[in-house]
Amino acid sequence: MDLLPSDDQQQIVDTIKDFLRNEAPVDRLREFGAIGNPDARLWPQLGELGFFALGLPEDKGGVGFSAAEEMLAFQQFGYHLVSPVIFGLVLGARIAAFAGDEDLRDELLAGGLKVGLANSRGAAAGPKDYHLLEAEDADWILFVTEAEAGLYPRDAFDGITRVDSTDSVLILERAKLVGSPRVSIPADVDNIHDRALMLIGAYAVGIGEGARDLAVDYAGIREQFGQPIGAFQSIKHICADMAIRSEAALCQASFAALVMDEGSPDTPFHATASKIVACETAVRNAADCIQVHGAFGFTSEANVHHYLKRAHFADMMWGALREQRKRILAFPTPA
Amino acid sequence: MDLKFSAEDQKFREEAREWLNANVFKERRPHGGEEMREYDMAWQKCQYDGGWAGVSWPKEYGGMGLGLTRQLIWYEEYARANAPDNHLCFVGLNHGGPTIIARGDEDQKKQHLRPILSGEKIWCQGFSEPNAGSDLASLKTRAYVDGDELVVTGSKIWTSHGHLADMQELLVRTDPDAAKHRGISWVIFDMNTPGLELRPIEIMTAPNHTHFVQCFYDEARVPLKNVVGGLNNGWSVAMSTLGFERGTAQIKDQIRYAFLVEEMIKRARDRYGEEFIDNDEFGSRLAQLRADMAAARAMTYMVVSRAQHDVSPAMASLMRAMVGQVQQRVRRLAFDIIGTDGLENPEDDDWVYFYLRTYATTIAAGTSQIQRNIIGERVLGLPRSR
Repeated sequence: MDLLPSDDQQQIVDTIKDFLRNEAPVDRLREFGAIGNPDARLWPQLGELGFFALGLPEDKGGVGFSAAEEMLAFQQFGYHLVSPVIFGLVLGARIAAFAGDEDLRDELLAGGLKVGLANSRGAAAGPKDYHLLEAEDADWILFVTEAEAGLYPRDAFDGITRVDSTDSVLILERAKLVGSPRVSIPADVDNIHDRALMLIGAYAVGIGEGARDLAVDYAGIREQFGQPIGAFQSIKHICADMAIRSEAALCQASFAALVMDEGSPDTPFHATASKIVACETAVRNAADCIQVHGAFGFTSEANVHHYLKRAHFADMMWGALREQRKRILAFPTPA
Repeated sequence: MDLKFSAEDQKFREEAREWLNANVFKERRPHGGEEMREYDMAWQKCQYDGGWAGVSWPKEYGGMGLGLTRQLIWYEEYARANAPDNHLCFVGLNHGGPTIIARGDEDQKKQHLRPILSGEKIWCQGFSEPNAGSDLASLKTRAYVDGDELVVTGSKIWTSHGHLADMQELLVRTDPDAAKHRGISWVIFDMNTPGLELRPIEIMTAPNHTHFVQCFYDEARVPLKNVVGGLNNGWSVAMSTLGFERGTAQIKDQIRYAFLVEEMIKRARDRYGEEFIDNDEFGSRLAQLRADMAAARAMTYMVVSRAQHDVSPAMASLMRAMVGQVQQRVRRLAFDIIGTDGLENPEDDDWVYFYLRTYATTIAAGTSQIQRNIIGERVLGLPRSR
């Protein structure tokens, strides 16, 4: 038993970290301005490095690592606020692989296709009402339920209407689902829903850690009353709380990934717990990060707001906190 | 990353489970007094006689000489078997003993370790003083060298179960001219030493619940050979002790609380049916706790993992801080669920007692504010306050 990454796993993490530090600093979101996905240019490079195929078995065209490596990668994607399209590519390729569509799988793994995400607008809207994220001129749209997961063509959706997005770097639309998936797999072939929850938990871990580090950096350089504000306990303790939450979220994300690799019946429980803990961590860390930045944190000149908005996105995907809390009570006691 | 336990670990787990199921004390543990002391000593002796005391302690001093992973497994099985929490043995097993193992000399190890494991000697802590709480290093209890003895004068406070203890891990100032953190010594103190007087302190749970004592030392004499880790070196010795408390010593509590949350969910479901899931108040709080307990368990595994990689013990403060908060939330929810029954605090029911007890979890072993200072400065690298 060891929850820390092995040397090999740490090497993968370091490679992704280096790549994203150079190619995807969070400042890119500010420079890009209001709208659109600035990460599309990353996909072919990430594909070439094999980052979309980490958790896919070798006989399914993947790199053949486990869910643990995938979890570690998504933690980094979250840390750098990489576009949520990454979920579409990784999970889409997995669907294609398990459905036996090798051409589609390989195109997705190479990062050569545009994949948006569909997410239910919840009971308050209607059973057929969805949000589409980053789906404008998308080749495919990923839609996942507990029962099955599929890749849909854009014309499977009707009445598509562009709306302003809270996370202003994301393109958001409303639509009704009228068609069927072109490629899909049921959960008993491969449970994409569990994996989606586990990976968005990992992504949210990264968001929370990004907000924590931004706050700690600022608290170390911003001076008031003749000293760095991080020396004051009122600020220091806010930062410590962020670290405590991030540790809890990271540990649970690691646990969830390992349980998934074992094929344990507790997989949905731990994936759900991971999403709950990590999304709460991400939202609260981002909120605290704004507070530590003071008035500057309230502006669009600071990067903080991107973390808050992306944290809320992560929470809302595949069922928000209230829904996940209901789900987690329904599972049997885990081993 | 790996969740698997080895075949030997699994075998150890099965043997532990079997032994615990056959031997765990079924009688309710008394809340105080000599009965509690006898109970705790008997249960500790039972574990020792069964060969299960001191899983990670060296063999030559009566332990099993196994690693932290086995310790974790033992605690998991211990909690699963609902074994009693023999809290009187806590200081010996989790502070005093491990400190002597880490910093003591051969004679100290020979003399003191086995009686801790066998339940013959109960240890207590003599760290805090009336004017040295969070600022522990400002402690003033004085000890001067006289021949081959130390002569101790001063006072210690918040000594849990001091009136029931045989031995004390005692911090004294042996060099008043040295800087604050220097000039302190960590001493093994016999509670039967002449010159020691105790004043019981009632705690908030109920009238007559004595948990703490204040200790008054008036020229109390301790053999010099009872100094652990060298004269005036006590601060670094004390820090290794607190490291134990903030790290692995919390494992058992964490696991016990995870079982408690499961029990609360079961009881809520039995009592209210599936509707309780839709109760936004209790349902959502239970659900959040269930998720947080899963994370706390994962944090426990991380603490064990980090210890095996020799990562900074300051990281264990993260789990300690989290678990303290979660325990309070669990007991507060349990209290809220029983409604107006919470106005009653009968001696034969633990529900309210344990709720009130959890107010200690963010104070003991360093307040949650001190933990946050440690996290801020040693984990995150923020500047020290001036």
